Amino acid sequence: MGASRIQMWQYITAILLIVFLGGHLVERLPWLVGAESYHDTLRSSFVSKQYGSWWSIGLLILAYTALFHGLNGVRGILHEWKPRLGTLWDAIIWAVFIVFALIATYTVAALW
Amino acid sequence: MVGIDPKAATRTPPKTVVFRVKRYNPKSGREWWQEYKVETHRGMTVLDALLKIKEEKDHTVVMRYSCRMGVCGSCGMVINGVPRLACQTQIAEVADEGNPVVTVEPLYNFPVVRDLLTDFTDFFEKHRSVKPYLLRKDREEQEEPRGQYLVSPEEHALMYEFTLCISCGLCYAACPVAAIDPDYLGPQALGYLFRYVIDPRDEEWQMRLMIADSEHGCHKCHYAATCSMVCPKVVDPAQAIQRLRSLLFKYKLGLWRKKKTAPLSEKPKDWKPRKPLPPEAQLVSPDVDLERLESEPVTVEVDGKRVELRYTIYD
Amino acid sequence: MSKGRAKENRPGLLRASLNPWLVRVEDHPERLAFVLHRVTGVIIIAYLLLHIIVTNTPARAGWEAWDQLMEQFGTNIVNQVGEFIVAGSVLFHGMNGIRLLLAEFFGVCIGRPEKPKPPYIPPTYRACQRQLLYLIFAVWPILWVFAGLLIFGVF
Repeated sequence: MGASRIQMWQYITAILLIVFLGGHLVERLPWLVGAESYHDTLRSSFVSKQYGSWWSIGLLILAYTALFHGLNGVRGILHEWKPRLGTLWDAIIWAVFIVFALIATYTVAALW
Repeated sequence: MVGIDPKAATRTPPKTVVFRVKRYNPKSGREWWQEYKVETHRGMTVLDALLKIKEEKDHTVVMRYSCRMGVCGSCGMVINGVPRLACQTQIAEVADEGNPVVTVEPLYNFPVVRDLLTDFTDFFEKHRSVKPYLLRKDREEQEEPRGQYLVSPEEHALMYEFTLCISCGLCYAACPVAAIDPDYLGPQALGYLFRYVIDPRDEEWQMRLMIADSEHGCHKCHYAATCSMVCPKVVDPAQAIQRLRSLLFKYKLGLWRKKKTAPLSEKPKDWKPRKPLPPEAQLVSPDVDLERLESEPVTVEVDGKRVELRYTIYD
Repeated sequence: MSKGRAKENRPGLLRASLNPWLVRVEDHPERLAFVLHRVTGVIIIAYLLLHIIVTNTPARAGWEAWDQLMEQFGTNIVNQVGEFIVAGSVLFHGMNGIRLLLAEFFGVCIGRPEKPKPPYIPPTYRACQRQLLYLIFAVWPILWVFAGLLIFGVF
């Protein structure tokens, strides 16, 4: 009940982000993945390997948690800014969340 | 931390200090800065200087003050960009020979009634909404005490710091969230709420946590911690709110509940029933209904819906 | 005679969220951290939404299109600067996030209640969250420069 339920998820996603975003960023270190440069790690030969393995589930979790954490943060700011429009902000934020979560799901599913 | 410099009163301020006072006329809606030159002396506070201006230079400057010694919390104002108690701020602390100018503004985040006078109605309304008094399950006992609640010194030490609040509103004026969100309960009310949640004598901690657990309750705090920085009584509301929040999470996860409340002492041998209040202690206005004030519901937002919480003991 | 109206005196969203010196207290990195946390958070969510759209390219148009896009992005200085800013934002937001997680969620590193005594510094500022914050401000530039070296292709 109350605002703490959603706020608790803000912190749980924060903990998940530390793990998954950390992993996502480590992938961009060229000498860890055997690439020549940072820019090299973004080429399809490296990126395509990450999809199709168990890590694509990690990427999906990362997308959901990052979207939730970020959009909930924006929701908080919007609630502070115009508290009277609270329901409208909630509706907008959830709509954006669903649309972008679907795009992310489509990306991972198509490249599996 | 700000304005608590015991050595400041021993220093001599610049001989003449220019006071830039932010004025506001509610009738015309005009806002302007007015400058006054004030001859100072050692130990002079900003409030002394403002009163000197009011007496000798300009009677129309409006401010609120009462005790002149940092106890009542009436004379909060923004001095050189920092919310401070005017009576507790030495001029020597805020002005020096290099820059003998003191700017005085009304408190931020409060509606300005006139000049330096701010409207605390909303602030006190928020204070009242957290039920800042002891609540026991045994209401009859509270009305007709038969002893005292036993609190150990260790238990008292845990909450003592948070009981020092004088409701001066400086924390509320310094808070960046209160600067945006008019509905945010604010550091003062939340600090008070926490103080009663951990008070071993209080039994309505679940209801208090419900009040904190709203969209504009403790989760709106972002730990900028300026509230603790400006508090003239070192209450540390920033710490109180973080403790309140983590306590709320633990309670929601089923990891915390108030285990023990202070027991009642034995009935004293010379106990007599409470005498009714003398006429001079009765409320001035007959329109104020104390019973209604007590029983009025607190509105909180639960999952987007506004829910009224009532303090009921007889069901 | 009209009594006139009280004037609202709230600084509002932009001033409160962007100006760490709105209240001019000294020795107060927590407020700076609050402003940076909020600003970096907004930068990151803007990037994240774009990122989700851009990473959809291989699913939509195939890997060749992706390689082409990355070739464009990797050589465009505006893009690199943008990426550099996002990297700094993520680093600060993440590290400060750990500190906030400890303070707000776990309720640690925020000091213990005590009787006020001279020099009257509230426990919050003597707790380890302050040391963590100093550590963050020390480590952040180093990691940011390192990220910059990667992004601008120095190594």
